[in-house]
Order: sequence, then C-alpha cells, then structure tokens
Amino acid sequence: MSDLALTAAVTEFLYREARLLDGRHFGEWLDLFREDAIFWVPAVGMDRTYTSEPETSLNFIYIVGRAGLEARVLRVESGGSLASNPLPHTRHLVTNVMVDNDGPEGVSAFTNTQVIAFCEPRGQQIINGSCEYRLRRESEGLRIASKKVLLLEYVVDGYFDFFTV
Amino acid sequence: MNVQPRPRDRRSFADYIDDRPTDRVFRVDRAIYNDSQILEAEYRNIFEANWVFLCHEAHIRNPGDYFATHIGRQPVFVLRKPDGSFACYLNACGHRGATLVTSRIGNARKFVCPYHGFCFDTAGKCIAVSAPKTGWREQHLNLSEFDLTQIARIDSYRGLVFGSLSGNVPTLREHLGAATALIDIFVAPAPEELEILPGFSIYQTACNWKIMHENGPDAYHAPVVHNNFAQAVTYREKRELRSGVTRTDTGRLTGRIESASYDLGNGHTAFWHKRRDPEAFPIYAQRDELSKRFTPGQMEWIIGRGRHITIFPNLLLNDLASTHLRTYRPLAVDRMETMIWCIAPAGEPREMRAARLRKFEDFFLPSGMATPDDVAVAESAHKASFAFDSKWTNMGRGIDFKIDGPDAAAAELGFTPRASSNSWDHEIAMQGVYRRWREMMERGEERDCV
Repeated sequence: MSDLALTAAVTEFLYREARLLDGRHFGEWLDLFREDAIFWVPAVGMDRTYTSEPETSLNFIYIVGRAGLEARVLRVESGGSLASNPLPHTRHLVTNVMVDNDGPEGVSAFTNTQVIAFCEPRGQQIINGSCEYRLRRESEGLRIASKKVLLLEYVVDGYFDFFTV
Repeated sequence: MNVQPRPRDRRSFADYIDDRPTDRVFRVDRAIYNDSQILEAEYRNIFEANWVFLCHEAHIRNPGDYFATHIGRQPVFVLRKPDGSFACYLNACGHRGATLVTSRIGNARKFVCPYHGFCFDTAGKCIAVSAPKTGWREQHLNLSEFDLTQIARIDSYRGLVFGSLSGNVPTLREHLGAATALIDIFVAPAPEELEILPGFSIYQTACNWKIMHENGPDAYHAPVVHNNFAQAVTYREKRELRSGVTRTDTGRLTGRIESASYDLGNGHTAFWHKRRDPEAFPIYAQRDELSKRFTPGQMEWIIGRGRHITIFPNLLLNDLASTHLRTYRPLAVDRMETMIWCIAPAGEPREMRAARLRKFEDFFLPSGMATPDDVAVAESAHKASFAFDSKWTNMGRGIDFKIDGPDAAAAELGFTPRASSNSWDHEIAMQGVYRRWREMMERGEERDCV
C-alpha cells in the first residue's frame, strides 16, 4: 500500500470511530478496540506538564483492557449516571492526520481533535486534544491497540468522559 | 410543626439557619447559595478571617520551593524558607501589584517581578529595584516601602499547611480541635513521609462552593448517586477476575454497613464506615508492621474503616476508595474551583501505588465514574436554589439518633466531637458546618458594624 493509500485508509478508520461515538453506537465503538487495548488520557502535574508514567502518576483516564471501557459504556448507558443523563450530543472533528507505518503488524496515527458536546443542563462544551493511536492490522482490518489523548485544557469545566474526548 | 415563612429582607445571618433542636428542626435557607452579597461576606468573614488550608508540606519539600494558591479571593504563595520554616506572602509585587509568582509551583531564592524587575528575598524584603539611581535620590530610596505583605499566621499540622490573613485567631491546633485525632489516623501509615503523587486535577463547577462542601460529609447520596459506579466496577472486576488490591470495595455503596458520623466542632466533620473488603486496600499489607505501633482499637480505625474528614472551610481528606486530598474555593457565587491530589505513603511497593492511583482515577476525578455525578448533582442543586418559594434545604436527618459528645468509637480513639451519630448517612455533621457558618458570619457582622 502506498503512503497515500495507507493514510487514506487510516483516516477513514479514524472517521469511522468518530462517527460511531457521535452516533452513540458505543457497542460498535468498543469492537474497534483489541481486548488488551489501552485508553489513556494523561493528567498534568503542578508544573503543567503532562504525566508520562501511568504506573506511578495520576491520569485523567488510564484503562488497560477493554473490560474497563465496557464498564464505562455500561455506566453511561445505565440511565443512573446524572452526568450522562441526558447523554450529551457530540461532534468529533478529526484533523491533521499523520500516519507512520510501524511494519507489517501495525501503524501509528497522530491527529488533532476537537469535540463539541452539547447537553441541555450544561450547554456547549468544546474539548480540544491531540491523539496518538497504535493500530494493529488484524484479519478483519485495523483494531486499536492504544489510544492516548492529550487534552489542551487541563482545567476541566465540569467533567468529561470517553465519548467527549 | 408548621413554621410561617419569614420576610426576605433579613437583619441577620442567623435568619438563614432555622436551628431548633427542641423541635427537631434544622433547615438552611437556599438563598445562601445564590446571593452574591453573601459570598462577599463569606470572603471577609470566613476565608479571610480564620485558618484556611494552603497546601501540603510535600508540595514545598525543599528550601526555596513555593506553591501559589489563594486565601478566598486573595492570591498568595507559600514558601519554604532556607531555614526550613514556612512563609506565605500575598502574590502581588510591592511596587505596582503585578502577580509576582506566575507558576503554580517552583523553586527560587529570590523573586523578580515580571513587570518592572523589582527583586525580593525569601523574607519578603525588597532587595533591589530597576534603575534606582535615575528614579530616586539615593537618600529617598527606601526599599522597605516595597516589601511583600506577609499573611498574619502560618502553621502546619501533620504535613497540612494552613494560613490565616487575620492574626486574631486561636492556634492551629485549637482550630483543628477534635479533627487532629482523625488526621493522626490518616497519616498513621507514614507519619513523617506522606507523598503527593505526581499529577493533579483542577476542575470548575457551576455551583456555590457550599453545595460541594456539603457533599463531602454527605454519605446519604452515595448509594443513590454512585450506584452506577458500583455496578460498572463490579462488572469490570468480574470480567477481569481481579484479586487483591486491584479490587474495589463497593460494599459501602450497595448495602447497609456499620458506620458513624461526627460534628467535630468549628465546622469540621468526619464519618467512617466499616470496610467490607479491607484486603482491597494497599494499607492492609502493612497491618503486621502497624500493629506493633497501634492498639487493636486504633488498628480497627486504620485498617477496618474507610474514613472521611472535612476541615471548614476548604479542606477534604479521605481514605475511602483511595487516599485523597482536596481543596476548593469560590470563584463567584455560582462557580467554584477544586484541586485534588492522590496522597500516599512514600516508598510503597509499585503494585500498591498503581492500585491506589487507578482507584483514585475511577472515583475522584472529573473524568472518573463517580465525581462527574457529584458535579452534576451539585450543579442541579445550585439551579434549584432559585426556587425561592420552596426555600428550605432540610438537614434534619439523624436528629433522633444524635449523641452529644463522643460515641464508643470516638472515645476509643480519644477525640471529643460536639456530636456523634450512629450512621454516616445522617446530617448531624452538616448541621455543625452551618452552625459554624452562622457563627463566623455573625461575628463578622458585629465587626463590620463597629
């Protein structure tokens, strides 16, 4: 596959992820992740730099294994979480896609993202970030081995969750 | 008993608190949450009139380390001086008032103002100005005119650093009172060396600061608001076959357990609950070592109980899902800012540290599975505080079970609360918060009239 074709295929995959989140198809979104996938949103330190050692420092979200993501989906769909009820509508904008070919097994992708969320009690919220993906080539296509999101605004307005980053 | 509503043009802050023990009534007028004049009075009479929490000693471990924060609305920075003692200065240059320290933390032996280059030492003394010779005749340049303003009092207890803008306050130990015994238990696993773990969280909430402060001693909400948390982590932990310290003790959220709560006096509160699964906590691994230093009664407090403390008006410490240090301040009558850290014994094994961090992230962060719901409920309560014709927030739960003074568990640990109650979901402790609020606001009112 040429570099252009690879970038196009990976971009398509990332758009599909965004579309599944915006459409609240969380079950299908989970299927994009490998069983051992990592979902990581680092926090910042008092020195305003992102934390980089998840085993010894705090993160906004650090989930190892798809079950942790499934638990999050279960929670927001349970109806019992006031913060997710009503569930905010979202629009994920994915830009500046760059792809590195990591060899036969997978690729890395780097994006800038802007997520516009709206729900009636809180109004509009815009969450900016950049994402790093490690994607693996599997028989059915690409799957996410890890997704890391660096948030631009680390002073959080209210709260956020997996579907608003 | 039916009570006639009082007219809204009040004469005294006491009118906002309907406290009639003999009638078994305790109610708070919801106007205290949305009246900006009340916030102005709170800044003066609470935040700027008594001890407030500033930071942890671990934030400023080395000489020259500083930590920028606020006392109410006033920006300050806390400094570890070369001799190891603490100082706290208003974070405003003595010349034209630019913010002197612009980092949250840092290390410096002198502070140079970013505006005109005035320079200050760690004692707050102005030691140099830019271009002195062309601005003043030598005999008229009095550097001490520009010295930084130091806050009236600073002291620490068990690593917790507090300051007061007013000098007319009791000692810190007197201020903390009965809470000291619970703070001692909090630091028991590592009395000299608690560590603030790297990474913190700061979040803003669209509610009055008191609504979140109340949410601290309020365990009554937990099985309602956080039932979804319990379900989610239970699903995850079954699916992953988790064991040992990676498990989460959700027993406190899903069923009736032994517990108690305390009005500690001075607006401070505490509660505890029996841990259903003490082995799920990193401290359990230390039990043999700890049992050499503590009595069996104390060990029950340390190992067997989840514990929660609030120190009025701006500190929360707990050892529930994880070990948690939180401070907060009002930004406006309808907006507040919260900063939180995970705090842990220094040098604990790596897997304990990781388990503690993961459980902290699960529950206490605005990106976790519990705190977003606390924030959402606090914001919705703020909105409902404008329902002026339904004006009373009722905090009477548990009055029937109130004990004046200590219960057996408190007596065992040797502290004397103003009141105890036999459940963590009673509102007795919250009543203490609002009695203190009334007392401080009225005291300020008298002072303002003089």
